[in-house]
Amino acid sequence: MTKNKVSIIGAGNVGATATYYIAEKVIADLVMVDIEGGMTQAKALDFLHAGPLRSYDVSIVGSSDFARIADSNVVVITAGLPRKPGMDRMDLLKVNAGIVKQAARAIAEHAPNALVIVVSNPLDIMCHVALRSTGFDLRRVVGMAGILDSTRFRYFVAEQLECALSSVHAMVLGGHGDQMVPLPRLTTVGGVPITELLDAATIARLVDRTRKGGAEIVALLKAGSAYYAPAASVAEMVEAVVTDRKHLAPCAAYLRGEYGIDDLFIGVPVILGKNGVERIIELTLTDDERKQLLASADAVRKGVEELNTFFKPT
Amino acid sequence: MKRISIIGSGNVGTNTAFFIAERRATDVLLVDIKDGVAAGKSLDLMEAGPVRDYVTAIRGSVRIDDIAGSDIVIIAAGRVRKPGERREDLYRDNAPNVRAISRDIRRLAPGAVVINIVEPIDLLTLLIQETLGVDRFKVMGVGGLLSSTRIRYLVSKALGVSPREVTGLIIGPHHPSMVFLRDTIRVSGIPAAALLSEPQLLQLIEDARNAGDTILHLAQRSTSYYAPSAAAAMLVDAIVCNTKALLPVSVRCEGEYGVQGLAIGVPAFVGEHGVARILQLKLSAADRDAFDRAAAALKAAHDSLAVGAA
Repeated sequence: MTKNKVSIIGAGNVGATATYYIAEKVIADLVMVDIEGGMTQAKALDFLHAGPLRSYDVSIVGSSDFARIADSNVVVITAGLPRKPGMDRMDLLKVNAGIVKQAARAIAEHAPNALVIVVSNPLDIMCHVALRSTGFDLRRVVGMAGILDSTRFRYFVAEQLECALSSVHAMVLGGHGDQMVPLPRLTTVGGVPITELLDAATIARLVDRTRKGGAEIVALLKAGSAYYAPAASVAEMVEAVVTDRKHLAPCAAYLRGEYGIDDLFIGVPVILGKNGVERIIELTLTDDERKQLLASADAVRKGVEELNTFFKPT
Repeated sequence: MKRISIIGSGNVGTNTAFFIAERRATDVLLVDIKDGVAAGKSLDLMEAGPVRDYVTAIRGSVRIDDIAGSDIVIIAAGRVRKPGERREDLYRDNAPNVRAISRDIRRLAPGAVVINIVEPIDLLTLLIQETLGVDRFKVMGVGGLLSSTRIRYLVSKALGVSPREVTGLIIGPHHPSMVFLRDTIRVSGIPAAALLSEPQLLQLIEDARNAGDTILHLAQRSTSYYAPSAAAAMLVDAIVCNTKALLPVSVRCEGEYGVQGLAIGVPAFVGEHGVARILQLKLSAADRDAFDRAAAALKAAHDSLAVGAA
């Protein structure tokens, strides 16, 4: 078995914490690349110093040199400015598009066979940037959003029902924004839909809290945004690809007509394995769910149109 | 640190200790009346510890008195089926032993949560609870959980997806008449019925229903023990960490699902004191009917075997 290599571009809180979670899984050697080379080297060293205690026997490199990502199986793009309180994801569009483009072009040059996981916000639009600027096959670019939104929904449900997190599964579709589409009828405890366990008002409250999950953390921290749950979601996706786990979970994938949506990245259930998005699962939605998903798609499409006004992929 | 005693160091008992050691920091005692067997297997497990990073201490003993003060007692001492035998055929052989062990637990570890893995599961789980005379929620039998892990595996294999996101609940006796709640068989919340054809799903359910027989038929000289041990270890996890995981277990019902005074498989949230609460689901008419018939057959077996009478 050849050793796997995973690179993380952007060694801020999300990137570094994702590196840590992946190291603990002992499934790949790791590289963190960030324009702040010294800080990145320092974090890598710190992780390595913890290795003897945490029993992860993997190599971890921190560098400002994109060439270090050569031959990676997976490259994660977390680089970008974080949201500040009161800031809309769309505000970040211009500056983050430039950062993601630079990362994507480096991936195309140094790791042309890698699978790309996009984390930078606004997520669905940054997936477009990464796809266009790498020129990769559309199944090899995937966005991290649905797993994060689902893990938050799962936590809220488990807390409400006072049951184990591991018994709860959730499905959240749509763009990674306020218009995401949590699906309570596909959110279950041990397979039992929460619609049979909680009243409508409680479910509505949990859905709303899920939609605002990122904002709740931003408001509490005042400076900074969530990174443990986002990093855990990244690690889950990296593991699915590196171990070819065939994980069925919602991710931002490029749609070509599925769900009546064309030429757009948006969150849908996919099977994630070594080839990236190996299958898109097309659910039969209710009229209301479909309406919500299309509204969310419209919002993403508007962002893509804004992107098109200034963005050149190369 | 929780103290766990496992009575019976056959394949199920020993592998339960093994799965616990792989996952948890606990103190495990393996007890077997056969001289040296529990001690030998414990030593073998502990010698794997440095390589496998165990933080669990496993000891072996021939003395039942060593279970004194245990937080969890797992009963895995009993004869297993031979090819062609039914689970209820084991009652007469296993009941006297299990009753004696239950009396020992009552004397030595009256506060323990008790897990039964001896067949026939439901009848002996009731016998244990009655002999101990403890809160009914402190005694659980591994039944539906075992069939649940089997259907989860089979569905994941048929779909080519990872089993971790697959769910599936089973109610009723640990017996071929068990009822698979089809709507709970899902992948990441998506009903398996939307991903598989009807005949495929029905076949998988039949395969899960007969999985124990399939393994017995293949192995001839032994019944399955990895999956049963994993199910017991999962209950230990839920108790030790007080997770309140929703798991199908055999527990004495007093009105739940219309059952009175019988232990039978139902979905329950499991935590530090055993069953924290039973989840009462609305059943479809077909499931209701199948469950009622299975429960009636279990009641008939219970009455004809005079379970509980000493």
